[in-house]
Amino acid sequence: MGGNYEVMSPWAEVDPVPLEGINPRLADLNGMRVGLFQNGKVAAGPIMDAVEAELHARFDGIRTPRFGRTANLEVAETTDRARYEQWVREVDAVIHAVGD
Amino acid sequence: MYDAVFTERLQRPAVALVNAGFALDARSAASGKGMPGVRVVSETVPCECTEPSRIVAGVRAAMDDLVTALTAPLTAEEGSPPPREADGVSGIVFAGDLGEVQQFFYRRGWTDGLPIVPPTEAAVEEMLTGTDLPRDHVVGKMIPRLGKVTVEKIAVNAVMAGALPTYMPLLIAGVDALLDPKAAFGTFEVSTGSWAPFWIVNGPIREQLHVNSGQGALSPGDIANAAIGRAMGLIVKNLGGARKGLEDMGVQGNPGKYTMVVGENEEAIPGWEPLHVQHGFPRSDSCLTVSFPNSYLQIWPYGSDDKGILRAVMANMVPRWRQLTLLLPPGHAQTLADAGWTKRELASYLYEYARVPAYRTPEFWGTPGMQRIRPPLNAEDAAPLLRGPDSLRVVVSGGAGAFMGMAYGSSTWVTKPVTLPAGWERLVRKYRGLVPTHLRY
Repeated sequence: MGGNYEVMSPWAEVDPVPLEGINPRLADLNGMRVGLFQNGKVAAGPIMDAVEAELHARFDGIRTPRFGRTANLEVAETTDRARYEQWVREVDAVIHAVGD
Repeated sequence: MYDAVFTERLQRPAVALVNAGFALDARSAASGKGMPGVRVVSETVPCECTEPSRIVAGVRAAMDDLVTALTAPLTAEEGSPPPREADGVSGIVFAGDLGEVQQFFYRRGWTDGLPIVPPTEAAVEEMLTGTDLPRDHVVGKMIPRLGKVTVEKIAVNAVMAGALPTYMPLLIAGVDALLDPKAAFGTFEVSTGSWAPFWIVNGPIREQLHVNSGQGALSPGDIANAAIGRAMGLIVKNLGGARKGLEDMGVQGNPGKYTMVVGENEEAIPGWEPLHVQHGFPRSDSCLTVSFPNSYLQIWPYGSDDKGILRAVMANMVPRWRQLTLLLPPGHAQTLADAGWTKRELASYLYEYARVPAYRTPEFWGTPGMQRIRPPLNAEDAAPLLRGPDSLRVVVSGGAGAFMGMAYGSSTWVTKPVTLPAGWERLVRKYRGLVPTHLRY
């Protein structure tokens, strides 16, 4: 394998994205409103049914309002955005069903 | 995953419950959005599962982790992520002999598994003669990583793929096509459905670049068909950051992702509109069209007349994706044209009459992904195999023989014009003599 090659990178530069931390967690789930977000995939609804049942079995007074995405796009990019923002204001945390 | 990031930005703690096979993909997505610490909980419910007992079992197994993700205090890194380290994206990144270069690129995950042509500065400079755009011109940002698709980076990946400088206008048009929201590239590039970009070249550039539209056009052996698709695949991987098993979650994968490029034989049937003309461009323009099939089927006709050709097409259409690129060899195209068919009439006819009993369609059975389609009422109702008359394109390609090609997808076709640099004819003359001369035996 003779010869010497100085080679350029094929990997893209990205604009610096300021990294953000996540929000503090809840101290306890008893009495909390834990929103359940479904992404529209077929198993998301039944999975959230099971999550909901488990949460109610484990925690007193927990509430689990649902939100379902109506398009196969991130919710912030759809007409659901305002409705979603309002829904999020009314919960203490959100569990997202993601992927397939 | 982007929704979970959005929730965190709305000042609420979020947890993503993800099938274990998608955990890496989820983390890449969150990181790409600038929030690497979003908590991800893996579950083992089979993908697209509809059986309650298996769903409940999978969720129960993940519940302790889910509760912990909602309640455990943040680590310092989760609350305030450290800055990313630079990952060596510009300038010269390595020096070595040919074998060492191959290993370096392969270890970095920058190849498609095949050896690459070393992208030296000299080779990239030569590649850049294929465009008048400045090397730092940003054609766009490509998801999921939002990598900046500069002309220089296109050229680097083009060199690696073995492309010629004359392919640069097509590669830039290809990036334009992928970044067009109508292409839904963000979905198809990483989907479990393993959709592969299918590139169709129209206009004078076909002949100038020797893009094969004839015998075995989709088989290996033509540098244009091979390198254009390969370069686009490397661009998607290295500039968009869609890597197999990390962000590209295709279940089976698709050989079309190596390359799937064909020219249309526009001259075969003078009365038929070439694909780019159907899409509103002048016949004299050079254009590139992309769509995302995930399956490719080859069939032969049930008779040599127009009826035999159409019967075979209708009998072999798959009741699922409902978008079809039909590749007709010139012989069949001529037969159909002689019988008075136009491309648009063929599409309308096949939409109208290519039907199956409803029980053969996924929506009748409530198959995953089809719940939003209102199901037929009766099992024997006739259900169309196309989404509509605009969901089929006829493209004349291929050589002698009877086989037709059917590329199935669920996307649409996006066509972009090709912008040629000054001195194009001179550039074409420089490279057009590069053709194989096969020994006869």
